[in-house]
Amino acid sequence: MITLSVNGKPVSVDVPKETPLVYVLRNDLSLSGPRLGCAKGECGACTVHVDGRALRSCSIPLESVAGKKVVTLEGLGTPEKPHPLQKAFIEEQALQCGYCTNGMIMQAAELLSNKPKPSEEEIRAALAANLCRCGSQNRVLKAVKRAATEGV
Amino acid sequence: MSKMMISRRAFTGGALAAAAAGLTIRFPVATAQEAPKLKGMLATNPKLNGWVKIGPDGAITVFTGRVELGQGVRTAMLQIAADELDVAIDRLTLVSGDTALTPDEGQTAGSQSIHYGGEALGHACADARATLMAAAATAWSSSVDQLTVENGIIKGPNGRAMPYGEAARAVNLVRDVDPTAKRKSQKDYSVIGTSVKRVDIPDKVFGRPTFIQDMRPEGMLFGAVARPPAYGAKLTSAALDVTRAYPAVVKTVVDGSFIGVIGTREEQVRAAAAAIAKASQWTLPGALFGGKPIFDYLKSAADDNKVVHNVGDVAAAQGRAIKASYQRAFQSHASIGASCALAVMQGDELTVWSHTQGVFPLRRELSAALKMAPEKVRVIHAQGSGCYGHNGADDVALDAALLARAVPGRPVRVLWTHEEEMTWEPYSSAMETELQAVLDAEGKVSAWSHTVWSLTHNSRPGSSKEGNNLLSAWYLAEPLPVPKRVNAPLPNGAADRNAVPQGYAFPNQKVTVNHHSVSPIRTSALRTLGAYMNVFSAECFLDEVAAAAGKDPVSFRLAHFADPRLAAVTRKAVEMAGWTPRPAGPRQLSGVVTGTGIAVSRYKNSEAYLAIVATVEVDTKTGDITPISMHCAVDVGHAVSPDGVINQVEGGIIQSTSQTLLEGAKYDDKLITSNSYGSYPIIGFDIAPKVEVAIVQQAGLPPVGAGEASQGPTAAALGNAVADAIGKRVRTIPLTPRNVLEAIRA
Repeated sequence: MITLSVNGKPVSVDVPKETPLVYVLRNDLSLSGPRLGCAKGECGACTVHVDGRALRSCSIPLESVAGKKVVTLEGLGTPEKPHPLQKAFIEEQALQCGYCTNGMIMQAAELLSNKPKPSEEEIRAALAANLCRCGSQNRVLKAVKRAATEGV
Repeated sequence: MSKMMISRRAFTGGALAAAAAGLTIRFPVATAQEAPKLKGMLATNPKLNGWVKIGPDGAITVFTGRVELGQGVRTAMLQIAADELDVAIDRLTLVSGDTALTPDEGQTAGSQSIHYGGEALGHACADARATLMAAAATAWSSSVDQLTVENGIIKGPNGRAMPYGEAARAVNLVRDVDPTAKRKSQKDYSVIGTSVKRVDIPDKVFGRPTFIQDMRPEGMLFGAVARPPAYGAKLTSAALDVTRAYPAVVKTVVDGSFIGVIGTREEQVRAAAAAIAKASQWTLPGALFGGKPIFDYLKSAADDNKVVHNVGDVAAAQGRAIKASYQRAFQSHASIGASCALAVMQGDELTVWSHTQGVFPLRRELSAALKMAPEKVRVIHAQGSGCYGHNGADDVALDAALLARAVPGRPVRVLWTHEEEMTWEPYSSAMETELQAVLDAEGKVSAWSHTVWSLTHNSRPGSSKEGNNLLSAWYLAEPLPVPKRVNAPLPNGAADRNAVPQGYAFPNQKVTVNHHSVSPIRTSALRTLGAYMNVFSAECFLDEVAAAAGKDPVSFRLAHFADPRLAAVTRKAVEMAGWTPRPAGPRQLSGVVTGTGIAVSRYKNSEAYLAIVATVEVDTKTGDITPISMHCAVDVGHAVSPDGVINQVEGGIIQSTSQTLLEGAKYDDKLITSNSYGSYPIIGFDIAPKVEVAIVQQAGLPPVGAGEASQGPTAAALGNAVADAIGKRVRTIPLTPRNVLEAIRA
């Protein structure tokens, strides 16, 4: 049994300790925010925050987050209390299919928490390993800039 | 659902109620020959209640066969229905892509949803609105001209009001669509033509269950498939015992060379399938392409060679002849989320949730592969990751169905791995083209020939009468054959899509296609099919011809356009980019050089017009290309959602930039080996160029699709920009540093 905090609530799961976190979040805890993409850390779709750091949940074994605070897109903000990035992504219509959106927002949220007013170069660098096949990069840049302007 | 429809018909009294509402006067008296007929999607799906239902409680449901692929089609369809019905979007329920509920509109592909699907839905909604207004007019003994509709409430003289639900009770909406129903004129639209925020986006930014990958019904099991080590390999011995290491595995299924694994934990099922594949014994077929290099194979093994377009006599044209060949590697859809399906077998009925582009064609293919009656199979669309064409979406539906059949009553969800998707999905064919032109004494093009060598661009479900188009059907104990492939005819074409130089007034024209009925590497539709390569080749070659004539590429195009809308988008793109003509020719090749290129096209020669100017930097030492900016003008007629159009065009530009600069799949003698983003890189934030898109409005014209308009022109504009930068032509996609350096040294 491994205990961790997910979106502010303590949870205990009884699954093999080497299970990649993304499967636990999606299949055992019924969360949908972290999307399962390449499953080897290349695309970023499964990004979550672990103790405030943006990490690829496909590449983290469950045991390594025991006792830690995991936040998913669901925990970042809600329709009632949206994170500024969530508001900005809607405002800028910053996606097409939306499969990569979780990773874009979670990665950008880490950036904004460390650097509230990043330059475009800094945003591009922070998102360099997040892939979008629909080609929404320019809109994502606009959305992150908007969120930075409107405050986190 | 069909039972409900029957009972509603009974309550409304069918034809009697229609007659009472005075509906018959709307059909003009005409002979059978003159009677107006339903067109397009309405001809094959004539039932009005198949498109729109208005309940006695006023609930409005609209139906479309077009499915959401991330292109915003749900929102666009809601806009069309809202405007024609005069109701707010939030009053509408939209059902899309369900073989039990929606019209059969074939595939959601080819940028046709708005053009054809939108027109049909709009027409049906206009018919419903007119019918309801006629009911109110009859009830109030007034004329329809005196009535208006405000958010689903019909308003009449003396403050009278009748909600749609009440009017619906007086009429029969269970009948064929009236071909004479009139849609609103564009000036009366209040929702169409505005950038309504997409209805699917909030769920996606808040991480709510949205995708098929998020479906987890009670009792669901996970499935995975152990794939062979080569295309066409046969299983000789299945190493099922390796599953002992995975306690979550509950069942294995072996059917011929198909091996499936079912279990309670997704990660274990995936790992078990991979372990079985590795440990099993397989018989391998001969080397791909008979061991020949692909472009030799393309030219030597084509078995359907014909002239598909011939105007005048290209051979007789006198003047200066110019010729060039272009090549393109195999390219992948490379979706971020791999293909996924959920299936459940209940009794003798199968239900499959799929992110297919066509629920009806998939149902036909599934029922053939499973030897089930089509009416026992229901396919329901659920959103997936963007597909951009025919990827593994349909195939995984058969995988899920094969496994669900082994555990009756239990839903089984299969999510391919990314490696599986990249190895087994259909690729876009490698292609070669050869272009020839003759310049006359005045420096104008007098003859133009375009020759294409290609494997198929369409092996979708529904594309063939015999055999089966779903991957695992070829590996079963009683395998269904891989169908022989045919090239779709012009005007749309497939391998030859956009090869006809229709936009240019060239007096003599010839297009020849050399097509293959067999694809050793499985190939099918990727955004624009052959048009991407044909527009790349033709628009690059046009620059080569302009250079030979000593003309600026923009003025050379303007001197040859046969369609003023091409000129209009060209002028706009050039204005946005700030085009400065400079003569073609040798360049100073030191350090980083800059170049600008233009390309123009009308997709399929019948849809959106688009011109784009690309600016790139080329490092002459490394051969690295950095795309700096893309300025684009597009004309889609009357845009339903201007921001939706811009979003699609921007995305297409970035994706095409990725394809053109980075993407070419590698393979060995057995299969594709570019099976990850490491081995098949796609564009990232590091080099994604700035993009500006302007819509050239054409009020009064019907809307056409935007999804594919930018793919080909972007590739050619990049090719032309690189040629402008280095003074040499790179004719092979992807425009890799190696290809650039080879051109520089040539």
